[in-house]
Amino acid sequence: MLRFIMHAFGNFLKIGALWSVVALAHGQATDPASNAAPATTAPVFALPAPPESHWRIGAAFGYGQRTNPLIQSDDIPVLVDLDIAWFGKRWFFDNGDIGLTLFDRAHSTTSVVARLNSDRVFFGKTNTEYVNFAYAGSGEVTALVDPGTGAPATEPVEVVPPDRDYAIELGVETLIDGDWGSAALRAFHDVSGTHGGYELSAYYSWRWVTGRFALTPSVGVSYKSAALNDYYWGVQQDEANLALPEYHPSDGFNFEGGLQANYYLNRNLRIALSANYERLADDVAASPLADEDYVLAYFSGLAWTF
Amino acid sequence: MSGRSPWLLVCLLAVCLPAAGADVPAARLMVKPLLCVTERESDVCSMNFDIRWKSTIAAEYCLNDSAQSTPLYCWARALTGTHSHKREVKEAFIYWLGAPGGAQRAAEVKIEVLRLDSADRRRDRRMRHVWDVL
Repeated sequence: MLRFIMHAFGNFLKIGALWSVVALAHGQATDPASNAAPATTAPVFALPAPPESHWRIGAAFGYGQRTNPLIQSDDIPVLVDLDIAWFGKRWFFDNGDIGLTLFDRAHSTTSVVARLNSDRVFFGKTNTEYVNFAYAGSGEVTALVDPGTGAPATEPVEVVPPDRDYAIELGVETLIDGDWGSAALRAFHDVSGTHGGYELSAYYSWRWVTGRFALTPSVGVSYKSAALNDYYWGVQQDEANLALPEYHPSDGFNFEGGLQANYYLNRNLRIALSANYERLADDVAASPLADEDYVLAYFSGLAWTF
Repeated sequence: MSGRSPWLLVCLLAVCLPAAGADVPAARLMVKPLLCVTERESDVCSMNFDIRWKSTIAAEYCLNDSAQSTPLYCWARALTGTHSHKREVKEAFIYWLGAPGGAQRAAEVKIEVLRLDSADRRRDRRMRHVWDVL
């Protein structure tokens, strides 16, 4: 128990230190003849807006996909996009994330958030295969060589993509907005003892609205520590074989860009299009476990917000 | 029994005789557009409303805006009518058709406002779950 408390306390200290680094980075007429009335112009009449519901529940139905950079794995189809969230004064639940808001200021909101690591999603649909080549990273393959003889191996080698666990990550998140757009700064550390690493990220988006149409471009960058990258994208000694060499990626930056387009049919229903491209860090892309150096996600469909 | 008769008469009169101004014939009101979408930078929509109405009974109708105390326009014994109304919209409101000076509505159409920016910026958090691509 004492060890667990000390471990958790240590994680809080790390998150605090990480957040310090992130925080530094931001500072009446009648016309019977035609019955067509002349145009009139009325002044603005503003009534107080009704309070927002604590709940936000929505569902989108359509077709989309998130590519999977992991070898011997299937892309992830997205036919339904669910949105279940609850926002209280302090606490909130947002599609699996649980948060406690510490500060809510005019232009920023800072919360402590617990979440599940997103890299794990790629390890859910994998296939065991027998291959007669060796994975060389970045989607490249090389000849399968018998280390004993140095000659090309004749028998195919079984490759089982390694299993990875979900990591519970705890961190601090600051959301900032203004006329210039919206930004999110995040610092998260593993508190489940799964990968023992951390992630820092910054994300910016700007929404342009005309009529019923809204377009939101976005960019983001995330830094992932060596421990995090190594847990998910490294090939450990006990997982390595002729076709899957041992590999340990270092830390690195992922970059992403996205575009969302929405056409609002009414207050609840919209036509939604979305695309997001993420470039994986060089050391992750070079992993024998990586078949592609990017993740592309897209979706188009009808979205309903209750 | 005889003591109840005057009250019964009052009740019958109340049901059978329409109140003054309450006999406005039903009509069909059509308005375009119906939705104002706002966001942080621009929380007001400047909209040109195309308003049309039809009725099967020629009567006096007045077009009203729920945000104003006086009618926008009135027609004398008409079956149809059109009106163009330029308005800035910040909150939801109702266009309604009724008899001059009356409160009864022959038809109404609600103009809604959808705010993309929330007072709670946490609602704009961006997720990264496998199913969440919006």
